[in-house]
Amino acid sequence: MLKRSSMILMSVMLLFATFLAACGGGGTSSSGDGGDTGTETPPVAEENAPPVKLRVFSTFGGTDAAREAFQSALDEFTASHPNVTIENDTMSANDDGFRTKVNTDMNSGNEPDLLFYFIGADAEGFVNAGKVVPLNDLLEEDAEWKGGFIPDALELARQEDGNIYAVPLTGFYEGLFVNKKIFEDHGLELPTDWDKLTTAVKTLSENGIIPLSVPFDQSHYLIEHAVLSAAGPEGQNKGLKDEVDPNWEKGYAAIKELYDLGAFPKDAATIDLSMAGNYYSEGLAAMILEGSWAIGGWNEDVRDQTTVVPFPAVPGGVGSGNDIVGGFGTGFYLSKATYDDAAKKDTAIALMKHLTSPASIQKIATANGGTPAADVEVTGLPQVALDGFSMAAKAASISSPIDSKVAQETFGNLRASVYAVIQGEKTPTEAIADAKKVEDDNRP
Amino acid sequence: MKGDRKYIWMFLLPAAVIMAIFLYYPFFKSLYLSFYRTTGFFDKRFVGWNNYERLFSDELLGAATLNTLEVMLYVLVFQVGIALVLAVLVDSIRKGKDFYRTVFFFPVVISGTAISLLFVLFYNYNFGLLNNLLAQFNIEKVLWLDQGNALKAISIPTVWHYVGFYFILFLTAMSKIPSDYYEAAKLEGISGLKKTTMLTIPLIMSDIKVVITLAITGTLKVFEFVWVITRGQNGTEVLGTYMYKKAMVDQNFGYGSAVAIYMVIFGVVLALVANRLLKRDEITY
Repeated sequence: MLKRSSMILMSVMLLFATFLAACGGGGTSSSGDGGDTGTETPPVAEENAPPVKLRVFSTFGGTDAAREAFQSALDEFTASHPNVTIENDTMSANDDGFRTKVNTDMNSGNEPDLLFYFIGADAEGFVNAGKVVPLNDLLEEDAEWKGGFIPDALELARQEDGNIYAVPLTGFYEGLFVNKKIFEDHGLELPTDWDKLTTAVKTLSENGIIPLSVPFDQSHYLIEHAVLSAAGPEGQNKGLKDEVDPNWEKGYAAIKELYDLGAFPKDAATIDLSMAGNYYSEGLAAMILEGSWAIGGWNEDVRDQTTVVPFPAVPGGVGSGNDIVGGFGTGFYLSKATYDDAAKKDTAIALMKHLTSPASIQKIATANGGTPAADVEVTGLPQVALDGFSMAAKAASISSPIDSKVAQETFGNLRASVYAVIQGEKTPTEAIADAKKVEDDNRP
Repeated sequence: MKGDRKYIWMFLLPAAVIMAIFLYYPFFKSLYLSFYRTTGFFDKRFVGWNNYERLFSDELLGAATLNTLEVMLYVLVFQVGIALVLAVLVDSIRKGKDFYRTVFFFPVVISGTAISLLFVLFYNYNFGLLNNLLAQFNIEKVLWLDQGNALKAISIPTVWHYVGFYFILFLTAMSKIPSDYYEAAKLEGISGLKKTTMLTIPLIMSDIKVVITLAITGTLKVFEFVWVITRGQNGTEVLGTYMYKKAMVDQNFGYGSAVAIYMVIFGVVLALVANRLLKRDEITY
């Protein structure tokens, strides 16, 4: 198991390194042909082809940075296949309702034809229930399609049973995004270690600037980074299945320490993720814990002043201070019902191939700043995205988010404990013990 | 009468079908699920009374119950109270009744989520309307949604949203009172406040009872205001949001269903108690 994960780690890092190199090369000289040319010409639809209606469910909606890029990729397909209508069904990934929607659909015979969703533990339910088809054979049959992907990106999309059920578009990383200008204005160093972080927090909060914009309820990223840097990648990867890793609670102690120093917005308890993002985007906050997808949503001047660093190691933790959260966490699934429906099967597969073609991947990656799953050059990325690739390439480890390692309910409990811990109603030890109890209840 | 039976069935059927699908089926399904331990959508096992035992040791559920009762108190006092006062006022004017009726009823039509988003922008600490107003007068910003205020802050839109509905119910009830009562009162020289408290309110008591029952059961369903404005933080978790969190966010449908059953029983008990307390002879005109 350990061997496999270290293989994965190596390949992710290699991947990020490739991209850094690619971006570095292409960053200055803008490619003249816009990048859209030179890709496979979509098969011309036969005359009088019977009409086909497909539903594609994804998170490329609302405020998602890649919304328009995704829609235009769909439009390209319908332009070359006039007999096809596509229902672009979307929901924001910011809220938990999205998971519920997908699982309800998958469980109640209302599967979308193509589903863009998380890979890994989140998908286990419908994958094991046989609601989606393994794509191994399809990939083997179409060398051109398979060849479009970077092999490691496909490897990372494997479920535990060894099959590939989802084909990836872009990867992601998470980190501590920092507004360099605010730091410079206050004569602060980048928060590369705990002391620098706490110094910055103290100085900024004395000056009336929100040091670190996080919400306490949707505290996913805060918990992810605190626990990862406290318990290290191995401790984090263990989840809470067996005995409790004593380092986990140091993450919660660190959150409390930051709170006591005034690190979080005054109204952190009642804001949601998008409001926290707002504070950062408006320049009211100096730091935010977010993922690569958030970059596209910030105001341009703030984005240009932003860089990203790994969350520093918390005091007493075993993390290296150079561990990050990331991976290829999402991809397109093909539902079993569509696969068995002769009228839809070929069109749905053609659409999936189109959406994951190098040209489409390039488009999406350009829009959302993620790591493309194909070997394409992404130009015009802001500096912070390049900083992000560089951070990921140099990282000592890349782990998938903590909520993929514990049961949903356990993660809900961990979230609820954040506020109790900083208020002193619970000790960090009690918080982790509580979560462990919930985790045990969730295992037969 | 016998020939009518066919029509009775025919007219009842659509409503009965809709009720069965959207009310009774989900209810019994919840009852069924509440005896299971579920993880996600694809895995469940029978656990007997386990979920119900958990209800009694769940501190968060206790807190949510108390918070719901607090909101219920505000709703009963202010929502029903303000609706009654408005109805009395509008009932006693001669011109512009229709105008006020429309204006007061209007908030009911707006979706609760939209109102909540509006109030998010009122209360927000950094951008909010209220704090911007205070800043104009150089007053220190206030954290409107802190531990002490949050539940009250949420109760304001909750109360405001449905005042109009109860107002219409009261107004309709008042218009049904025959005018000879008022003429008699006029001859006796009774007017103003005395007329309202001694005549109007006793005469619409059965409607007040209905409204109170509606308000109690309605408060148990409060969800969107809490969910959007505070996400259940800072001591604002109510039963509706707690159930949603357990069922949908944690994907523990078994326990979520048990909470739902608890809410139903709790609501029925409260409504029965309220009815008992307000017991009076029915008035017929």
